[in-house]
Amino acid sequence: MKYETIMGLEVHVELATKSKLFCACSTEFGSDVNENVCPVCAGMPGTSPMVNRKAIELAITAGLLTNSEISPRITFDKKNYFYPDLPAGYQLTQLFAPICKNGWVEIETDAGKKKINLVQIHLEEDAGKLIHDDWMDTTLIDFNRASVPLIEIVTRPDFRSAEEVVAFLEKLRSLLSFADVSDCKMQEGSMRCDINLSVREKGSDKLGTRTEIKNMNSLKAIAAAISYESQRHIDALETGEEVLVQETRRWDDSIGATFSMRGKEDATDYRYCPDPDIMPVFIDDEWIDAVRSNLPETAQDKFIRLTQKLGLPEYDSEIITRSKNLSNIFDETLQYYNNPKEVANWIIVELLSIAKGDNKGEDDVRIDCQKFAKLIELVDGRTINRNVGKKILSLILEEGIDPVEYVEKNKLGMINDTSLISSTIQEVLSENPKALEEYKAGSKKVHGFFVGQIMRKLGGKANPQIINKLLTEALKEI
Amino acid sequence: MPNIEDYEAMTKISLSEDEKTIVSGYMNMLLDSFKKLEDTDVSGVVPLISVLDVKSPMRDDVAIKTISREELLSNAPEQHDAYFQVPRTVD
Amino acid sequence: MGIFIEDYNVSGADTVALEDSIMQKGKQVTAGSKILDNFVSPFNATVVDRLLDGGFKISGRTVMDEFGLLKLSHDDNNTPSGAVRAVSEGISAYALCNDLFGRYREEAPQYDCCYIHPTYGTVSRYGLIPLASSLDQIGIVCRDLSQGFGLLSHLAGKDPKDGAMFPDSKYCYGKTDEKITLGIPRSVIEKADADTRESIMDFINKFSSTDIDLEYFDLYSQVMYILSSAEISNNLSRYDGIKFGYRASGYTDIDDLYTKTRSEGFGLDAKLTAIMGAVVLSKDHYGPYYEKAMKIRRLIKESINFDTYDVIVLPCKISDDPYENLALYSLAPLAGLPSVSFSYKGYGIQLVAGVKKENLLLSTWEVSMA
Repeated sequence: MKYETIMGLEVHVELATKSKLFCACSTEFGSDVNENVCPVCAGMPGTSPMVNRKAIELAITAGLLTNSEISPRITFDKKNYFYPDLPAGYQLTQLFAPICKNGWVEIETDAGKKKINLVQIHLEEDAGKLIHDDWMDTTLIDFNRASVPLIEIVTRPDFRSAEEVVAFLEKLRSLLSFADVSDCKMQEGSMRCDINLSVREKGSDKLGTRTEIKNMNSLKAIAAAISYESQRHIDALETGEEVLVQETRRWDDSIGATFSMRGKEDATDYRYCPDPDIMPVFIDDEWIDAVRSNLPETAQDKFIRLTQKLGLPEYDSEIITRSKNLSNIFDETLQYYNNPKEVANWIIVELLSIAKGDNKGEDDVRIDCQKFAKLIELVDGRTINRNVGKKILSLILEEGIDPVEYVEKNKLGMINDTSLISSTIQEVLSENPKALEEYKAGSKKVHGFFVGQIMRKLGGKANPQIINKLLTEALKEI
Repeated sequence: MPNIEDYEAMTKISLSEDEKTIVSGYMNMLLDSFKKLEDTDVSGVVPLISVLDVKSPMRDDVAIKTISREELLSNAPEQHDAYFQVPRTVD
Repeated sequence: MGIFIEDYNVSGADTVALEDSIMQKGKQVTAGSKILDNFVSPFNATVVDRLLDGGFKISGRTVMDEFGLLKLSHDDNNTPSGAVRAVSEGISAYALCNDLFGRYREEAPQYDCCYIHPTYGTVSRYGLIPLASSLDQIGIVCRDLSQGFGLLSHLAGKDPKDGAMFPDSKYCYGKTDEKITLGIPRSVIEKADADTRESIMDFINKFSSTDIDLEYFDLYSQVMYILSSAEISNNLSRYDGIKFGYRASGYTDIDDLYTKTRSEGFGLDAKLTAIMGAVVLSKDHYGPYYEKAMKIRRLIKESINFDTYDVIVLPCKISDDPYENLALYSLAPLAGLPSVSFSYKGYGIQLVAGVKKENLLLSTWEVSMA
């Protein structure tokens, strides 16, 4: 390969606060239109921004997790431009004294480990949401998201491949979601990313023309966009047919190409200036230490605990620690029923397959962990068999039933009565002489057929281990 | 002399010809007066953003609703289904 | 020019008129600008709540210049502002306003009123339609400074809704027995007309005094203009015809909506200020103008140290040119200092004291009136 692609990222992450960055409006996702808007975040005159302590704390957390320097004194600045999603005519952000500087994140790809350096992390407010109505030829504005706290993580141009970009974003998502800094849901826009990309001949120390792809919100699209845009740059360098210009571009996922957003923002002078209404926020070592000492377990720590202390296989541990939600379910369920292997197994095999059937991702599965634990205990203690257990799991998810009550009420307890099972075996053997002949002729699969028949006669509630044992004995005697 | 049209575009203000004459007149006068700043040596001086030398107060992270949506929207020049409405804005 | 936009028809010694920039819940508030047509405030300014808590009555909303902006053209029209008229004609005992550029401080003494400009950060700006956030300060037009400070004691004190305030929850204003030394900037006073100079000299003779040099005085207006226009330009950006206030008709697209709305809604002073503010903040000018002005502001603040004097004496007028006169009214907001202006023997005098040293102003005034 003659060329190399050089990329830097700007990643926006919505912080998991209950209220907005500068006012007390709720940040709840999915609220009714314009329900979470007040005079402050609607940009009304006479209002004054009041800093949310928790937002500062979450940004400090992000800084600690990315090995950043935390600034002892931070300020907020105004970025001026007109756009209908921006109520005050300026966005409050941090230009002159950002909260974190000079961090780094280690990533791992097939090519090995690599350090990605961060220029800074700064706090800023989100904008509202525009909905374009083609039918009425108007744009509708919902300010619920206006002034929701964001951090923007700015990297150095350290990326050389889409794999590295994806690995970095996955690492960030893991770090930030495990520390409850953000839920990092790309599909809901709580994590989104701008890619700055240029291409140069390998070995050259001169950077090529840079383009910026804005507002990417899926890893798949990011990989595709990088591949497309790199190729576009290479083609331009090789054929000279297209002249590259420094500009902002938009990725169209349905077409699979980037398009120029000409005229937008490129020439804008944002007239940044400090906001004199917000006094400096001071972050002393005491505060940083308090945040550090409250840092929750990272995914990496958790993986080590699962594999080394709890003795789970690496494969299982990997799946569970890939998602903050799954690992929360794992830990909580374990509190009610302390059997790591079984709990992990039920999460990975049963819970995730039901979730997949419902089109839900790992982060969206919700379950009452106490009921989940009871269920696992019922199966594990052989009160019910696994198949009944699976059905009950669906009922817990759908109707919230209590597994113990449900088993009692519907008499689903497993049949462990050996004499009943033995007599049923005899019945089945005598009712199926043909199959018995086949068995005698050496067909082993008939064993399974007999188990099925016996189970059916016992309403699916018999203990399969006992059936197996007694059936084997009975067949030997024949 | 800054190009007035650039600043009209930046501030979303369109001046009439008469206004433009007056504004450029004042702009000339003001910019001329600003030249006096050049004589003052400010090396090593930290800009003063606010005269107050206090720490920012901080709010606890509690969600509180302060005004109703009806009240918020009652000031909107144009609205539709609880949205603020503007002409179609191309992204 | 009338007095009230809205007259609540109450009278008495406990009545307070509000300049139309101070927000009252459920009332139309326009700050004298068409751009805020039909804007109904959804909340009370903190000063309004405190007035009502203190048992004061609001007499009405007074007519004002658009947003209280600086008028660069010399105005031959001698009608005083609504707030000063309301007090001088005895219609209201007090008026609250935001006097950024000196109009009220200059006018009050001419109509036998006084003006109190409190220390920045002692009176909440929540609910004040802003001009320049780092310089705005609600002040009081009154007949008598001791009564005026009585009212101020109800208004001043930390407000959890304003993030830029001193932490003190209450302030007491009263006479002090300290011996007061006046600081006399002769070179400034010499710019005033002969009669004013004579009255100031007579005033000074009642006190011990020392000559002072107001360093940077010839840059006050420039620094004030640069900083205020930048902040005002920011603060005017919220008026876009989308969320509240005036929206023009006949627009073709969003850009046209913005431009028509703002061009029709703002008066010439607002347009000039918005544009000048954008100039001083733009990439090429930020350093030489805005940042430099912020640095000189620090030098100005540090140059006024009150080490050998307690109160600075200034005239209320040194020129017919509003821009030159602005220098007189810039010291208090630029350095965040309290000031009062009043009439002494028929001529306006302005006194400026140190941060939260309002008591020295009150005492000086009382001694001079004795």
